[in-house]
Amino acid sequence: MSSATEPEPAQLLVGSQVIGLRGGETVLEALERSGFDAASGCRAGTCCKCMLRADNPPPESQRGLRPTLRHAGYFLACQARPTGTLRIDQGEAPPTLQARVQRSEVVAQDVRRIFLVTAEPLEFRPGQYIEIFHPSGATRSYSVASLPADGVLELHVRLVPEGLVSGWLHGLEEGDSLRLRGAFGQCFHVADDERKKLLLVGAGTGLAPLLGIARDALEQGHAGAIDLVHGGLAPERLYLRDELSALASRWPNLRVHHCVLKGATKREHEGSLDEVAIRLSGPLGDTRAFLCGDAGVVRLLQRSLFLAGVPSGEILADPFEAAPV
Amino acid sequence: MSLYERLGGAPAFQAATDTFYRRMLSDERVSRFFDDVDMDGQIAKQRAFLTFVTGGPAEYTGKDMREAHASLLEKGLSDEHVDIVVEHLGGTLADMGAAKEDILEVAALAESVRADVLGR
Ligand SMILES: Cc1cc2nc3c(=O)[nH]c(=O)nc-3n(C[C@H](O)[C@H](O)[C@H](O)COP(=O)(O)OP(=O)(O)OC[C@H]3O[C@@H](n4cnc5c(N)ncnc54)[C@H](O)[C@@H]3O)c2cc1C
Ligand code: HEM
Repeated sequence: MSSATEPEPAQLLVGSQVIGLRGGETVLEALERSGFDAASGCRAGTCCKCMLRADNPPPESQRGLRPTLRHAGYFLACQARPTGTLRIDQGEAPPTLQARVQRSEVVAQDVRRIFLVTAEPLEFRPGQYIEIFHPSGATRSYSVASLPADGVLELHVRLVPEGLVSGWLHGLEEGDSLRLRGAFGQCFHVADDERKKLLLVGAGTGLAPLLGIARDALEQGHAGAIDLVHGGLAPERLYLRDELSALASRWPNLRVHHCVLKGATKREHEGSLDEVAIRLSGPLGDTRAFLCGDAGVVRLLQRSLFLAGVPSGEILADPFEAAPV
Repeated sequence: MSLYERLGGAPAFQAATDTFYRRMLSDERVSRFFDDVDMDGQIAKQRAFLTFVTGGPAEYTGKDMREAHASLLEKGLSDEHVDIVVEHLGGTLADMGAAKEDILEVAALAESVRADVLGR
């Protein structure tokens, strides 16, 4: 029997195991004492190697982490002295859901926009990604461009030559069913400062998460300037232009820019995506950057924008790494 | 009070880490050592570096220093690079408002792990 005055004992739940915390002990120390092989480094809240996830971590153990990580419940085990019960997330995969294709349309030479409806609602933040199961069991990640309120999952899928899953997805028709799970990823809007400048840069289907992030920020009342820069090799590779223009005319603080490597018309900027984005966006010291798409491009953007002045903690990157073969 | 605390602790070092890391990435003499490591991980490590050398809360042993830099030795890490790191460290701390004698003290601490960093 516990009375209202008696505090709940400090304890950890790891799977089915309960670990009582001794006075003053950190989560990291308790895990080590109980024989867990917990990663650690500086043990002082600096190196971030001991990062774990839980639903209600002590706020002081989240100091210095980027906003999306704090939002998602990540914390530093070496800094956490919880008072009640803390259930450590062991990275259980989210449940697999059934979905069916509602619509699939070609939006560029090699890109399809595919709308899916899930049998049960999927929890996600726009900009996060889901994993799609190929009938062979192989999985690939695709970013969600829509908002939960839309009631559909919008994906932009580029056909990769010889690609197993992208090829299969391109061949699916209205009504076909598939399995997916999610959502994953740390590249999404957190409404912690409605005046902050947001810079969204992506190449190719990197537009998918950026579209979701931009719409999410706007609908949540973001008041600061939002610059979205979509890059591609040539003008005909850029897609959803009308839709982006319509969005920009509806929301005065959103500006949409197009950038191509070569053959720019009056509607595009020409040059390297990082240089164009930096030129267009002005001072970067108080900017949050979202960078999505091809992994090589994202790494270049990350480095260039950091060197141009975006604080490292404000760079949220989502590199589309190819699946290991 | 440690220099780490006098210079403003964790919040001040968050920003200083960016300054320091920008200096390293922009310096052609050392940038290649930081090329193929992911940026988030690298920022955390450089913050640990600055915290450690200013007497802040970061516990590292000589063995840790050996392990952290072992792979860099294969890329040709040598005395010259340690000197450059110490130079940018001094510049970063001066930007944060550290006094000359503090910077010398930090340089001495960095010096004390030179052999470990270079695996000697
Ligand atoms: C977090 C995340 C989010 C992603 N979001 C999206 C998205 O929104 N839209 C989207 O279209 N894709 C996205 N991807 C990429 C996607 O997950 C697949 O990797 C891609 O569709 C290729 O899968 P595949 O099965 O068709 O090709 P595979 O059968 O895996 O590969 C076929 C061949 O092509 C090569 N290859 C794979 N990818 C590329 C590439 N990008 N460029 C050049 N060669 C390649 C492989 O090495 C292999 O030789 C994302 C990836 C990640 C990690
Ligand atoms: C002057 C003495 C030095 C000290 C005290 C020092 C300290 C540190 C510390 C504390 C870490 C983090 C270790 C970890 O948590 O894993 C680290 C990592 C690193 N240091 Fe140094 N360092 C020194 C010199 C150098 C030099 C000269 C270079 C190269 C020019 C360098 C490049 C790196 C790199 C690239 C890493 C990250 C390695 C990885 O990714 O694992 N360091 N250093």
